[in-house]
Amino acid sequence: MIKRYLSFLAPIITFLLLLCAWELIVNFQNIPKYILPAPTDIFASFLLNYSDLLRSTFITFRITFFAFMIASLLAIFIAILFSQSKIIELSLYPIAVIFQVTPVVAIAPLILIWVGLDNAEYAILILAVIVAFFPVLANANLGIRSVEKNLSELFSLYEANRFQRLFKLQLPYALPFILTGMKTSIGLALIGSVVAEFVAGSGTSTGLAWRIIEAGNRLDVPKLFASLILLVLLGVILFLIMSLLEKILLKRWDLSKS
Amino acid sequence: MLKFNKIYKEYDTPILGPLSLDIKKNSFVSILGSSGAGKSTLLRLASDLIKPTSGKVEYLNNEKPNIGFVFQDPTLLPWRSVIDNVLLPAELTSKNKKISKEKAYFWLSRVGLKGKENSLPNQLSGGQKMRVSIARAMIQDCSLLLMDEPFAALDEVSRNKLEDDLLDIWEKNNLTILFVTHSVTEAVYLAERVLVISSSPGKILDDVIIIKKKLRDDGQPSSEFFSKINYLSDILKKENKE
Repeated sequence: MIKRYLSFLAPIITFLLLLCAWELIVNFQNIPKYILPAPTDIFASFLLNYSDLLRSTFITFRITFFAFMIASLLAIFIAILFSQSKIIELSLYPIAVIFQVTPVVAIAPLILIWVGLDNAEYAILILAVIVAFFPVLANANLGIRSVEKNLSELFSLYEANRFQRLFKLQLPYALPFILTGMKTSIGLALIGSVVAEFVAGSGTSTGLAWRIIEAGNRLDVPKLFASLILLVLLGVILFLIMSLLEKILLKRWDLSKS
Repeated sequence: MLKFNKIYKEYDTPILGPLSLDIKKNSFVSILGSSGAGKSTLLRLASDLIKPTSGKVEYLNNEKPNIGFVFQDPTLLPWRSVIDNVLLPAELTSKNKKISKEKAYFWLSRVGLKGKENSLPNQLSGGQKMRVSIARAMIQDCSLLLMDEPFAALDEVSRNKLEDDLLDIWEKNNLTILFVTHSVTEAVYLAERVLVISSSPGKILDDVIIIKKKLRDDGQPSSEFFSKINYLSDILKKENKE
């Protein structure tokens, strides 16, 4: 019981101790705020700007969420297409790899030109989708292909059609793989949306990335830190939600023991 | 029931045959041989899961019977409950749901899993999972049951119990069983006929008839039982040396 509480309390206590140490060092060393603000300065800045910061957090969350959903659904759909036809896989997989290996920063200006600077939010969404798409595709594809040979033969024995095979065997079997891909993808969607916003720049979209640029330009480092902390919190919360979803959905799955 | 007519199967190298074989209706035939002898290939050919390179598999009256297949692993879908796993063949062949459910409950009870219908596979022991697999194979009223080393991974007690249950199911259900095994004792205990297969490519080395009545003497294994085991073991040893 004590161990259980300790595993929960230990990281919190460590974190609080680090914050105290940070606060003390900044105050005793008289480090200027524009170099390293104390935690209390960051908190004060958050209280001062909370309305702007929370609005920006919501914008970043909205883009990340939609990018993640679009990327996941598109990737699963394409993985299904791959499973149905080798020719489709051979034709499309190299294109997916090209998108994966091309740095998002390099194609961002092009997407911005195509979509138009007036629609920067769509450009950011597209870029975040490109970044988040591949892990789900690769994992879904692997999951569908990993179906045990005997299970596949069982479906052949009862002359299952393509749809039965897909919905009763391949997709449920691939679910743990797909969710692993989605767990990676949600973090990448956030990174993608922040990087894309950095590239789009100049206030065309007002997500957290813009708040960081804005605060950096004004040397308002406490606000920069507050934005950064909100960004980290958003990432951690999204990851935890995905992990919880994975735990709930995979309650029944235990491929190793069946 | 089933006839292998000059069957030959190769992938990159010859696996099986040429081999001709006649399996009588309602018989229990064990197929014995070392690893790589093509025993599993023979079952897959019998079930039409794979086609022979040459030769033909013929069924009684040229009509493919309802076939049940029990693999070495229980091959259960982990996300489905026990009852839903048993119902899978009925779902895939669009059988009447109500009748299938009744049959599923019957077979689960028959294999000793009454009360476990809503459990998940990972809540069952190895022996129980194999029982689910047998119930699933039986739900389609199969007349030909193909079993690929189904009890190989089980402990001695579960294995003996399942062997007795299988014999009981065979006797009461007009079943033809083709049972692949590594174990000479298991082959002799279960079957009326034991086929010994050589390795690479698999050919029939010997075809031994077992008269089940002679296997027991006052409820104990008879000298006939042990002499059959010794005979078959000698063939396998000789084959492995060669």
